[in-house]
Amino acid sequence: MCGIAGFLHSSQASGDHPETIQNMLRSIAHRGPDGTGYFVDGICAFGTTRLSIIDLEAGTQPLSDASGRYWICYNGEVYNYLELRAELEAKGRIFQTRSDTEVVLQAWIQWGDACLPKLNGGYAFAIYDRMAGELILARDRFGKRPLFYTQGPHGFAFASEMKAFFGLPGFSFEQDVDQIRSILVQWTPLPDQSGFHGIRSLPMGAWLNVTRGSMTERTYGPLRLRTASGPASEGEALALIRDRLRQSVALRLRSDVEVGVYLSGGVDSAIVAQLTCERALGRVRTFSVEFEDKNLDESLQQREMAAFLGTRHVGVRVSYEDIARHFPDAIFHAEMPAFRSAFVPMYLLAQATRREGIKVVLSGEGADEAFLGYDLYKETLLRDGWNTFDEAWRRERLAHLYPHLDHYKPEDIAAITGLYHQFSQERAPGLFSHELRLQNGRFSARLVQGQGDPLGAIQRLIQGEPGYAELTAVEKAQWLEYKTLLPGYLLSTQGERMTLAHGVENRCPFLDPAVLDAACSLNLRFDDGFAEKRLLRQAFRDQLPASIVNKRKFPYRAPDAAAFATRPPEYLELLLSEGELRRVPYLDQKFAQALTKKVMGLGAAEISTKENQTFIFLLSLVLLHRFFTKRHGADRSAAASPIVRAVDLRPAA
Amino acid sequence: MSQPIRAFIENQFLIEFGEDLPDDTDLFRAGVMDSFGYVQLCRYLEKTYQFKFTEEEMTSNILVSLQRIEEFVARKTAQAAAR
Repeated sequence: MCGIAGFLHSSQASGDHPETIQNMLRSIAHRGPDGTGYFVDGICAFGTTRLSIIDLEAGTQPLSDASGRYWICYNGEVYNYLELRAELEAKGRIFQTRSDTEVVLQAWIQWGDACLPKLNGGYAFAIYDRMAGELILARDRFGKRPLFYTQGPHGFAFASEMKAFFGLPGFSFEQDVDQIRSILVQWTPLPDQSGFHGIRSLPMGAWLNVTRGSMTERTYGPLRLRTASGPASEGEALALIRDRLRQSVALRLRSDVEVGVYLSGGVDSAIVAQLTCERALGRVRTFSVEFEDKNLDESLQQREMAAFLGTRHVGVRVSYEDIARHFPDAIFHAEMPAFRSAFVPMYLLAQATRREGIKVVLSGEGADEAFLGYDLYKETLLRDGWNTFDEAWRRERLAHLYPHLDHYKPEDIAAITGLYHQFSQERAPGLFSHELRLQNGRFSARLVQGQGDPLGAIQRLIQGEPGYAELTAVEKAQWLEYKTLLPGYLLSTQGERMTLAHGVENRCPFLDPAVLDAACSLNLRFDDGFAEKRLLRQAFRDQLPASIVNKRKFPYRAPDAAAFATRPPEYLELLLSEGELRRVPYLDQKFAQALTKKVMGLGAAEISTKENQTFIFLLSLVLLHRFFTKRHGADRSAAASPIVRAVDLRPAA
Repeated sequence: MSQPIRAFIENQFLIEFGEDLPDDTDLFRAGVMDSFGYVQLCRYLEKTYQFKFTEEEMTSNILVSLQRIEEFVARKTAQAAAR
């Protein structure tokens, strides 16, 4: 795992390029503490700060082909690199290293953009073709690894994390109010949104071609939720799930360093841990977040699973104070407004994992999206068929929908029935499944002054997606999850931005195209979808403790506003002081103050979900404004990793 | 009677009724009503005005705007007084 950054056709004198590229890479040094390498030729400058995992010695970057025409900076892993290498060698391609980086480079030279659908992994890379004067950027199909780019007076620049742009002379960050409004209502950014003016996130499954004077973005990996055929029986379906997941875990254990597993206490990570132990030669290391708050803690299940598998387990206990203390550092790494504080414990977990000497972890992300694990899917099924179900059936389903939420308890079912009745008809075209969620988001969007159209961007996204209108309500829900919450929060803010803050790479076996394909071929064919992930659980029933297999999904949550209200940290002054709040010009001061006052004055049980998330959004927006726009306290990066390669091909050099 | 309901909704959803948000605004369409707030509002009305919503009432668009809520509660309390 690594961080990459670079620029093309800069207005800056080429004499300054080495210093600029080193400054950019220094800002993301946390992603790759093992060594920095860069390339400059007067037109292009790019580099990598590397976390070495495969071919530790020879995998140093930037890497070129034998002719020196093509150069690559690469972040991530392509897990099927051995198979691709064999295919390329059969075509006569010669390799100098054992690294997957070189496989990606040779694949590009051999097949051009047709190589992209062949890559199975989480990656983002830049390839520079010196002869054509062309820079290619590409990103994996699920959006596991980030890639941002910007075009302006400074020329074209790109980076794994936006903070690398601090290194560009004259670059300044300005929060994009329209995008922020859209992020607040959706809870997360859309695939191309960055939250800042002039910076675009390269969407998942897309690639970009940049030459002097032109820039073309294309999609290579559209999300496919329908399959041509599927298993004929439930028995076949279970075998298919086991087979695909076993293969996926095996591919993700390809590493020259030890691989650990994150155990959440739920069934998804338990399956990943079980399949890891099945293949591992030694005793596997597992890691978990534990909470002092018993309502959130799952340490019993985590420890039970660790004991069952005989892993060496580390639990990181997190208190309210820990969340308040580390929130600013974690949001600096996330770079994105957040609606929950649950990413902060993941920041602390990664820190502990790295301290234990582990650089790579597997986790269960992606299972709920593929196998319809979220309550959202059940809610969608229920609302979609609302008028065809009788009263008793509705009540029965409602009672099992969100049992962890206080306002879904039996005494309030009549009220909830009234609410669902309101939401049984589509109001926002194409967004039926997410309409209740969007109501919470609309409350958050009030943080921003003015009207605007917070749903405009997401409406354009779905209108531009071929075949979206033909999807079922549940498939639309799934599609939206794969384009918003998963990449925009779970894989990024709560995922790789937290692990990479400490030089740890996370890999997700459920985010394998073959696993998704299997899930899509069997979802809702052998059950009605109201027992979440039934087939997935069934597939591993004999390999896991019954208590884990039968455990109902318990959403991973952390204390939100309560973590700050109990013992307010000093920086909360940014919200409590009118003068400080006024520094963020786009905020609705009156609403922000009323919200803060309410949240700080109430007990945790009285604060609603929408208020909690709006408060966390407000806090993160104000901190991001301070760190990025004002550049106050932005010097939070790790020390630069040592320069291990400097390729200088500038004409005058 | 109307002032406490108005105040409850304003406090629950951090809004202010007035020119920009008239009393007959559909609170769902305006993006104001969320599930927690809706349930809190039901609990509040039942407790304060001593009645129970029937299933039929819950599915007949009563709690849509401040105006409709006030009209409904006035009717309910009048019925109770008449008994």
